[in-house]
Amino acid sequence: MDLLESLQLGLATALTMENLLYCLLGVSVGMIVGVLPGIGHLAAVSLLMPLTFHVPATAALVMLAGIYYGAQYGGSIASILLNLPGTASSAVICLDGYPMAQNGRAGAALLITTIASFIGSCFAIIVLILMAPPLAQLALSFHSADYFSMMVLGLVAAGSISQGRPLIGLASVVLGLLIGLVGIDVNSGAMRMTFGIPELFDGISIIVIAMALFGVSEVISSIGKAADGASSTRVTFRSLLPTRKEWRESGWPILRGSGVGTAVGILPGTGGGSMASFMAYAVEKRISSKPDTFGKGAVPGIAAPEGANNAAAQSSFIPTLTLGIPGDAIMALMLGALMIHGIAPGPRVVTENPDLFWGLIVSFLIGNLMLLVLNIPLIKVWVKILQIPYRLLFPIIILLICAGVYSLDRSVIDVLLVAGFAGVGYLLIKLGFEAAPLLLGFILGPMLEENLRRSMLLSRGDFMVFLERPVSAGFLLLAVLLLLWVVWGSLKPPKPSA
Amino acid sequence: MMNVLISKDFLAGIVCVLLGGLVLVVASDYSFGTPRRMGPGFFPITLATLLLLLGVGIMLSSLRTRERLAALNLRPWLVIPAAIVAFALLLPRFGFAPAGLAVVLLAGLADRKANKLALTLLASVLVPAVWGLFALVLGVPIPFVTWS
Repeated sequence: MDLLESLQLGLATALTMENLLYCLLGVSVGMIVGVLPGIGHLAAVSLLMPLTFHVPATAALVMLAGIYYGAQYGGSIASILLNLPGTASSAVICLDGYPMAQNGRAGAALLITTIASFIGSCFAIIVLILMAPPLAQLALSFHSADYFSMMVLGLVAAGSISQGRPLIGLASVVLGLLIGLVGIDVNSGAMRMTFGIPELFDGISIIVIAMALFGVSEVISSIGKAADGASSTRVTFRSLLPTRKEWRESGWPILRGSGVGTAVGILPGTGGGSMASFMAYAVEKRISSKPDTFGKGAVPGIAAPEGANNAAAQSSFIPTLTLGIPGDAIMALMLGALMIHGIAPGPRVVTENPDLFWGLIVSFLIGNLMLLVLNIPLIKVWVKILQIPYRLLFPIIILLICAGVYSLDRSVIDVLLVAGFAGVGYLLIKLGFEAAPLLLGFILGPMLEENLRRSMLLSRGDFMVFLERPVSAGFLLLAVLLLLWVVWGSLKPPKPSA
Repeated sequence: MMNVLISKDFLAGIVCVLLGGLVLVVASDYSFGTPRRMGPGFFPITLATLLLLLGVGIMLSSLRTRERLAALNLRPWLVIPAAIVAFALLLPRFGFAPAGLAVVLLAGLADRKANKLALTLLASVLVPAVWGLFALVLGVPIPFVTWS
């Protein structure tokens, strides 16, 4: 199937009434949670995952993906107006967005970030369209040993890159892998770590884990801390138009940001766009002829990171859809949604479910168009939403979580598991463990074991198989280099501040 | 020496060692098999050992960092899971309305500045709306009120 035919199929799928509706629903919810500080897109996607049980796979993914990239648009609004990042990836936008708002340029900042978001997304979507099919083709020739090593690399990256404590990050991954083992072992039929509870025989649902760690734990740590926002900044429609100078200053940074974001988003373990936006900011500051204006309302300081985090949000779908290896927690949830619908993630998705694959990609374009059109006119609504106090918001979240989890299987045990995992999860997060690598381990655990088992069976128990196959050896080498680099970095003497 | 014991990383290391040990004990019942024909115990035992080793590593590295554990958000940490448990226990016996009301009111109390009237108003709108979404729109058979 050539590219044009594929895109036509995608267009036909994405333009059905149902998918358009779910796309709109997704991007709207995404924008709202993006605006609201204290609810991230992870919480929102977890919250809406139960709904996806009741809709076809394509519509479900279209909606969940919409929440994700919609939140990237909304996130910068709270950063600019309130100096509070609505999502982690828009934290950088505060640095120059808020000073711009104080200088009376809030409107222009909002318009520039919206346009930067759109361009960044489109850039990454084009790369996705061009790269995904050949990558999936290549991945079809992968052996189970190659898959095993690729997953090991992904997990090592997820555990070690995202934060300053690589050992705890890796421990989080291993913990996730272990939780993923709960249930009946498909190969031997043995019960593992079920403690005789029949509800655990089928394993723990990814929705239970996601809601506990990203919904409830998040609420527990935000209560009494999330600032209730009331913006004094007034945004008039006339102030929206950037000056000619501001236009000129945003052009190249947006493109550079898009490039940086697309590249970073493809890498495993780069976590939800925040690394992309920080890197884009650093690049702009370094090459700028006036680096001293950064932090005081420099236009490139909002344009580049905003392009980057949106580009990363889209390009992170490349490894997820073509290889079945999620780069961060949100992609792990996407894979979870695929599996709920009985679709095995991996390179075969492109050829065996072309309508889903291409429909999803075209829906990205449509969703971004919706966001471009909706974001600006609704600014007054967003400012109102920012005034909802968190103490009324979180009971709603908890009720939705309870109802959503119960609706999965009408199982009381599932609801109790959410309470338990949330309580324990909050403690673990306090101790420095991380939810995102844990979820990644949880989702990849069964696949990792299966590929390990299969490779060992084929190689007659010879572990050298992982080094004899060049692809596998390459992935493992990268994983080892990454580990050495991170460990070396953490062994450097700690800052004297302690 | 006291400082080391309450440092964040040291506690995290202990947690890893304990959990790894627990899994090792539980998984020792599963057959390990050989690398060629792995038993159900192969993967868990390998992972648990890895977790144990990581735990030891974290404890050792904590000797250098000594970052104190930040204060817990104690009230929400106790109240929110309790509210969810209340929901789970009430729902099968009394239906969605009482369970939903209980979870909204109880969870709301997690915030010290909770306004009980506002929470009651919120719950009276929200509970029927959420029930409507799941029971009527999505067709999940959950009774609004029941007695059993």
